[in-house]
Amino acid sequence: MPTKKDDVYGDHISHKFNDELMELKTEFLKMGGMVEAQVDRAIQALVDNDGHLADEVRAGDKKVDQMEMDIDEEATLIIARRQPTARDLRLVISVIKMVADLERVGDEAKKIAKFAIKLNEEGQAPRGYVEVRHIGNHVLSMLHDALDAFARLDSQQALRIMKEDKRVDEEYQAATRTLLTFMMEDTRNISRCMSVMWVLRALERVGDHACNIAENVIFMVKGEDVRHTPVEEAEKVVGR
Amino acid sequence: MTDQRSQAEIVRQSLKRRYRKERRFRLYGILAIFIALASLFILFADIIGKGHTGFVKTTITLDVPLNSDAMYLDDPTDKDQISMADFSAPIIAALQTHFPEAEGGSARRELARMVGSYAPSEVRRLLEKNPELLNTTQTMEFLAHDTVSVYVKHADNPSYSIRLSERQQGWVDELVEKGVIDTSFNDVLFSRGDSREPGNAGILGAIVGSLLTMLVTLAISFPMGIAAAIYLEEFAPQNRITDFIEVNINNLAAVPSIIFGLLGLAVFIGLFGMPRSVPVVGGLVLALMTLPTIIISSRAAIKSVPPSIREAAEGIGASKMQVVLHHVVPLAMPGMLTGSIIGMAQALGETAPLLLIGMVAFIVDVPDGFFSSATVLPVQIYLWASSSEQGFVELASAGIMVLLAFMISMNALAIWLRKRLERRW
Amino acid sequence: MNMNESISRAADNSDETVMSAQEPEAETRREDIKVEEGKTVGVPYADDPKFKLRNVEVFYGEDRAIKDISLDIARNEVISFIGPSGCGKSTFLRCLNRMNDSIDICRVKGQLMLDDEDIYHSKKDVVELRARVGMVFQKPNPFPKSIYDNVAYGPRIHGLANRKSDLDEIVENSLRKAGLWDEVKDRLDATATGMSGGQQQRLCIARAIAVSPEVILMDEPCSALDPIATAKVEELISEMSETYTIVIVTHSMQQAARVSHRTAYFHLGHLVEVNETTKVFTSPEHELTESYITGRFG
Repeated sequence: MPTKKDDVYGDHISHKFNDELMELKTEFLKMGGMVEAQVDRAIQALVDNDGHLADEVRAGDKKVDQMEMDIDEEATLIIARRQPTARDLRLVISVIKMVADLERVGDEAKKIAKFAIKLNEEGQAPRGYVEVRHIGNHVLSMLHDALDAFARLDSQQALRIMKEDKRVDEEYQAATRTLLTFMMEDTRNISRCMSVMWVLRALERVGDHACNIAENVIFMVKGEDVRHTPVEEAEKVVGR
Repeated sequence: MTDQRSQAEIVRQSLKRRYRKERRFRLYGILAIFIALASLFILFADIIGKGHTGFVKTTITLDVPLNSDAMYLDDPTDKDQISMADFSAPIIAALQTHFPEAEGGSARRELARMVGSYAPSEVRRLLEKNPELLNTTQTMEFLAHDTVSVYVKHADNPSYSIRLSERQQGWVDELVEKGVIDTSFNDVLFSRGDSREPGNAGILGAIVGSLLTMLVTLAISFPMGIAAAIYLEEFAPQNRITDFIEVNINNLAAVPSIIFGLLGLAVFIGLFGMPRSVPVVGGLVLALMTLPTIIISSRAAIKSVPPSIREAAEGIGASKMQVVLHHVVPLAMPGMLTGSIIGMAQALGETAPLLLIGMVAFIVDVPDGFFSSATVLPVQIYLWASSSEQGFVELASAGIMVLLAFMISMNALAIWLRKRLERRW
Repeated sequence: MNMNESISRAADNSDETVMSAQEPEAETRREDIKVEEGKTVGVPYADDPKFKLRNVEVFYGEDRAIKDISLDIARNEVISFIGPSGCGKSTFLRCLNRMNDSIDICRVKGQLMLDDEDIYHSKKDVVELRARVGMVFQKPNPFPKSIYDNVAYGPRIHGLANRKSDLDEIVENSLRKAGLWDEVKDRLDATATGMSGGQQQRLCIARAIAVSPEVILMDEPCSALDPIATAKVEELISEMSETYTIVIVTHSMQQAARVSHRTAYFHLGHLVEVNETTKVFTSPEHELTESYITGRFG
């Protein structure tokens, strides 16, 4: 989804270099879209008890892995060929890091799909799916916004995502507590609830990865590493 | 496709044209070089053809009976007697031993004209030195008379007219057969000064004169020229005055050399009262003439020293003077030397200015200093070439060959020096 | 949004605002980005500088080649000057040991202090200055003499060695420092022009350090060298940075990134940005710097 802001990477003397950077960006966004869909469908499969869809998600992860390797190669080639600096260097480095995050998100989606199949086979009344759906939607929108922030080089939005992550963590804590109550109510629920717990854990991880992506976007745009720094610090960087 | 094909066709056609042009151009070049070489060859052939005999002298070796009666000389130590004595008589007598039939006044005169006119004085000198040889017979070698020399060397050359009588020709033929008249390397040419008689004329005086003149020229123009070049190139500020000087130096190089002769005549001889026709004045005039050449070529040589070398030295902290003396001048030296030597070679071949300061006089003695009258090689050649005697023609050509040899060796020296001193950077 | 505003924001170097200020049709053209005179972003000043340069201006005739540059060069730092051709970086470098003196029409204004001495003071001896501030040039320019004589030339003219043994020692030390000793110790009498380009350049460095200068200026020292020779010279620069202050002009941004502590970006006679090299090459502050080092013009 190239926007008008892509010309930030677009006006090199070497048009080939422009194309390569553009390609890298596009591929990354494509992979982002793919991973997003994977997570979405995995949640769908879980909530709807759709074993078939879950299988598809598990199969889809192969494609995500392949894309990760392709993008990494592309990025390596750009470094080798162009020795990018400054903004370009930050783009390439961030993409390499964010691709790893996306791949992990893909893995989480695969994990969710696995539990969906398992839960589906056990075939008992759903418990805690409301929380799954809720947190799922939340991290999905975070992931979406992170990718969007990347596409538009929007550090403000990235900052918002960083803040969101705290709320996801809170929601995760709350959901865990709810599941714990379920487990205490009826010990037969334990195995089930544990599975749902894993799913929630996976979704929480997705949120973390989305947050990582957002941090990388800030680095890309502002040239300042905001990982492992308090949000207030990041705010100052973005506000600059 | 058709477009492409026709384009290829056009290119091919224009290529043909281009190649034709190129070939034609190369042909012109070869032709020019060929013409130049041919002219050079003709010139050399002519000069060598005419001049090689100049390096050969014709001698007559005779057993001279030094009879006191024949010479009217009793006591060779007596100055009066010597001055009155007839020294040609023994030579005639010696010749008569070969041709007993030659009797009578006209035959004796013809016999006397077989040997050079300096032959009797040689007999006289011998006797003056060795009075005890009176009334003995001595084997002596005389230079043949010019007419004999011309006959011996150029009997079959139609451009020389033979001025010997039938009888004399017969005698010469016979003497040549007997080995009395012989030809050998002309050492006279390199050991004597000018003479009225071709056989007795040498070029040594001119060579020494040229050397002395060149020494003066070199001693003045080389240091002055190089100093001027270095100053103008390295130290002089860039302003109107230096521009003016520069333009005038370039103009001076184009001034006809005879003007320098006039200047020499007016200034050195007229104003300073220096003697005429001496190497010092000649050298001064030629130095003036050579200076612009040396300055211009030296400046070019200095300019061609790469600026990176200057920068390198300046970057280390060498002063201007050190940069110039340690780096620029040594690197420019080959070019300066070449320019100077070529300038000198030019001066060596110069005639016109020297004519004006009187170095054209007939001078028999080999000059022995910078202030003795002298002539120089090209002037000597000019004198001989304009002389009427037949024998001088070959001498002039021989002189040209000597002069050319000097020029070539000077140029060779220039090339050798350049090769030797030139450094690559 | 009008152009002036986008320019002033460019100076603020907020990517975000510049981008939003740009309109797709009328993007800011680089030629239009003006630099505010005498304003340098980043960290141009240092505590206890070796060179203190204030409001330096250089004129070639009427032409103003250097426009109001102020910069400190710290002790024992390697600072590199980068910028497109004709940006004045070489001219500025040559002011530091007055190599511009030999150009008649060149005038230098402003304050140029080396250890609190005005180097353009009328009483300042340029020979002494150059002994303290050595220079290495773009093209290796050894004298057409022997290797030994090349290195010994500086000490000789400055009278640094009275005895032959002292001179030998200086020559050996300098060649060792230049990493050339092992390669040439057996042929010190060979002519320097017979060496390879890289060796020649290192010889020039040895020649410069033979007079034990405090600062070494390098004017594109590797532009005529192959990559291996370049690597050797760069290695040498890193080693020398412990003892000398080094100012290097380079066209190779990678080289600047590799060898220097600070990088100064010149543009049309302005000093646009001076920053830590890492900063310049990962996130430069000024729009122009960024455009140049990322290969958008130059």
